[in-house]
Amino acid sequence: MVDNVFAAPPTLPDDPADALAAVGALRRLADRLEDTAVEQALEDGWSWADVAEALGVTRQAVHKKHAPRVGHDLVRKGHR
Amino acid sequence: MAFERFTKDARATVKSARDEAVAAGHHTVEAEHLLLALTARPEFHVLGLDRERLSDALAEEEERSLASVGLEPTQLQARPAPRAAREPRFASSSKLALERAMKAAARRGDRRLDARHVLLGVVAAEQGRVPRALRIAEIDVDELRARI
Repeated sequence: MVDNVFAAPPTLPDDPADALAAVGALRRLADRLEDTAVEQALEDGWSWADVAEALGVTRQAVHKKHAPRVGHDLVRKGHR
Repeated sequence: MAFERFTKDARATVKSARDEAVAAGHHTVEAEHLLLALTARPEFHVLGLDRERLSDALAEEEERSLASVGLEPTQLQARPAPRAAREPRFASSSKLALERAMKAAARRGDRRLDARHVLLGVVAAEQGRVPRALRIAEIDVDELRARI
């Protein structure tokens, strides 16, 4: 998987401005991937507690971050 | 922040920056959302603030940044569009832009803060996505600041 995603080893650009921009872009990408992954897990019937544990954060943190975003049905499912 | 000094236009810009963030599914309102919101104002079109040009440049900036650490854009484009965040928070880049807008108004001795000041605040940034995207769009920031 990692081999497919990275065309080259993830070394940082020499210019600090480019290096910091890359970190910001990776953070935004990780946020978007997290949104999608959490939605998918809830759709599959995962509980918030399991999603939180899998992400390595507290249940409160994951709920606060994603509950307002995902639909009501999914939130209910997550409470099962 | 002294929003009571914001003109109706400046408030509308801040509100549509928030809408830009929501539409893009972002959790935060950034300076780039203020920039995109400002492109809706016809008086700025003569300055080269074209929405398509700037949103292309912002996308290009993202792509180049990810490519610089070896992430291939083709694999990233396949991801599904994120669901919109309900209420995004104003992040430091947009707060800084609005603080700089207030400073610009104060410097000019203007009592009210209008959309031009917001633009001055946004393009005052030396670092971050906005100046990088403006460079990609080949917009001369010094010239832009002088013409606002």
